[in-house]
Amino acid sequence: MLLGSATSVAPDTSERMRGFLSFAQRRRAWLAALFLILFPLVAPFKALAAMILIYGLYALGFNILFGYLGLLSFGHSALFGTGAYFCGIAITHFGLPWWAALALGVLGGVLAAAAIGALAIRTLGIYFAMVTLALSQCLYYLFYEATDWTGGENGLTGVNVKTINLFGFHLDFVNPIVHYYVIAAFVIVALFALSRILASPFGAVIEGVRESEARARASGIDVARVRFVTFVVSGAFCGLAGALLALHLSIVPIETMHYDTSGLAVMMCLLGGMGTFFGPFIGAAIFLLLENLVSLYTVHWQLIVGAAFIACVLFFPRGVWGTILQRSRT
Amino acid sequence: MKNNGLTRRQAVVATGAALASPFLFNIARAEAATIKVGFPVPLTGPYGAEAQDQVRAAQVAIAEFNETGGLKGRRAELLVRDDKLNPGEAATRALELIESDKVDFIVGSLSASVQLAVNNVTKVRKVLYNSISQSDAINEAKEFSRYTFHEALNPHMTGGAVGRYAFSKYGKRVVFLSADYAYGHEMVRGFQAVGKAMGIETLADIRHPLGATDFSALLPRIQALKPDVLVISNFGRDQQIVLKQATDFGLKKSMKIVAPILLYTARIAAGAKAFEGVVGGTSYYWGLEKTIPSARAFNDRFRKMYNGRLPSDYGSLAYAGVKTFLMAARQVGTTDPEAVIPAMEALKYDYYKGPEYYRKCDHQAVQSVLIIESKNAPPGDPDVFNILAIDQLSEADLRSCQELGFH
Repeated sequence: MLLGSATSVAPDTSERMRGFLSFAQRRRAWLAALFLILFPLVAPFKALAAMILIYGLYALGFNILFGYLGLLSFGHSALFGTGAYFCGIAITHFGLPWWAALALGVLGGVLAAAAIGALAIRTLGIYFAMVTLALSQCLYYLFYEATDWTGGENGLTGVNVKTINLFGFHLDFVNPIVHYYVIAAFVIVALFALSRILASPFGAVIEGVRESEARARASGIDVARVRFVTFVVSGAFCGLAGALLALHLSIVPIETMHYDTSGLAVMMCLLGGMGTFFGPFIGAAIFLLLENLVSLYTVHWQLIVGAAFIACVLFFPRGVWGTILQRSRT
Repeated sequence: MKNNGLTRRQAVVATGAALASPFLFNIARAEAATIKVGFPVPLTGPYGAEAQDQVRAAQVAIAEFNETGGLKGRRAELLVRDDKLNPGEAATRALELIESDKVDFIVGSLSASVQLAVNNVTKVRKVLYNSISQSDAINEAKEFSRYTFHEALNPHMTGGAVGRYAFSKYGKRVVFLSADYAYGHEMVRGFQAVGKAMGIETLADIRHPLGATDFSALLPRIQALKPDVLVISNFGRDQQIVLKQATDFGLKKSMKIVAPILLYTARIAAGAKAFEGVVGGTSYYWGLEKTIPSARAFNDRFRKMYNGRLPSDYGSLAYAGVKTFLMAARQVGTTDPEAVIPAMEALKYDYYKGPEYYRKCDHQAVQSVLIIESKNAPPGDPDVFNILAIDQLSEADLRSCQELGFH
């Protein structure tokens, strides 16, 4: 975690800042939740705000592996996509209620992560990236070819949930604001869960393995198992994000599984700040907002968005959020 | 200790600017009382050229509508969005158009999966949508929405019309070579449906992966089979490459090459040689103006707005797709979907290519398929196709309502 518990040396003007930062560190999930609750007020439209939530959660799941454990996976689209397809298939083929479909989506992410993780964690570095990429492409073609189940090229259509029934309340899921807050509720629960995991001894072990594998092993930690479990935990978060995507778009496009989507997670994490709690959300928000707003005004939006990314890399070497945190600590 | 990071003032200003900017966008986009037509098309990506022509043609329909008085003085406006040829992006854009821009109609898309994504969004939210690219799936009862119309042809209609022409003219021994995805499969199914009735003999049904760059291994095999007709069902760059390699290999000497769809933009981009003598289908070619007055009027208007430029096939679909909604709305005096739908269903129109109407059960536009042959036109000459035949389809040439799952 980049936000260490700063101990003050001399009482100066940055004292208050430190105080705030350590408060923010302890209450990071609450602050993140508050941000998500207020976010639709400033977002250009609700559907985009929901997309930012979902991709933020996806990048957050990816960040557990990438930022906290230090493994670069290029196969996370498989976890995200399997979650989306499991949720979509549960609704379209089996007519299950939305909550069961969401649970199956998480399960899908976990299963895909377990399958890919079991094979991939034997390797490290660039080999790990390549193996995860190859395995995710296998899953891509599996879903692509299973046309009867997934719709193949055309995508899975008809994942329609019109009302959310909860404890006797009937929420109109077609209403954009209700729609956003239902998705936000799940993302916030996920944020608290992640914060808890990272604050637990297991969270410390994950970072310990990243910092020094040899030292972690010498302390009696089963490094391979830590890597596997972290991969599966990451899969659960990505699976949930995928399931929410299926509910949000009411379709599952095959593009969800494509390796472009894996690259997107890497991009969002780097842009926001890898290894920071809230960075992936910032990255997702910057990426999607830029893309959507600039493309309203010119067909050459890729040029402008590209220039903005270069600027981010030059001026925010630790990602936008990571750099802001670092600067405010010095 | 020097604070070399963000000062508090900078932070406040930056946060303020970040918070304010989306509001500015919202204010700038809000306009009252116009009829808004949302238009998601893939402006960037492999079909960018077609999509930009679709925007041009749609603007022609909007301009004509506004010049002739609009709807009781209400003017129409086109809201163009880049769907990036991605179904997820298209669905998000459709949601934006419905929720923020409060559009009256949506027209657009340029791939099967993208139109199904938009269709799914508009179906649930009861918004009128006219799809302007080919798909068989959108006609099926499973996907049907009474709010959706399909102005484009579909693979069954196109493949059927081209097959009827080619198998009767050039022979019944056929080899199929198609891209291995929904478009290729649906086209082959369309050809087979008419082929079976005509008694064709399928010598081979070869699939190649999407985005293939080398067909040289397949060409000798195809030549050895000695077919009368080689049907190549792929699109864009794949089509250009395979036609060039087949021409160089000399396949054209011993068999007729047929493609279900010949695109005007692709032919212009690729040049004459690879396409020469290839027979295919299209929904529209500007040369139709020699015989059809509405085509003449549409082309002239398009030329006038865009410095002598000519409309493409997919562009023209956008013109008709936008125009049908606007005309139906004008007829009933409102943009209320419940009033516009019956008006659309009753519409008999000839806007640019001869008579058309929407079939009641699946809202498919019943129209003609042009059979065209690419000719050896010099570079820069826009007259690149000969129209061999105009196949005026009837409902009997479409998949029947029962077959689509309607009862």
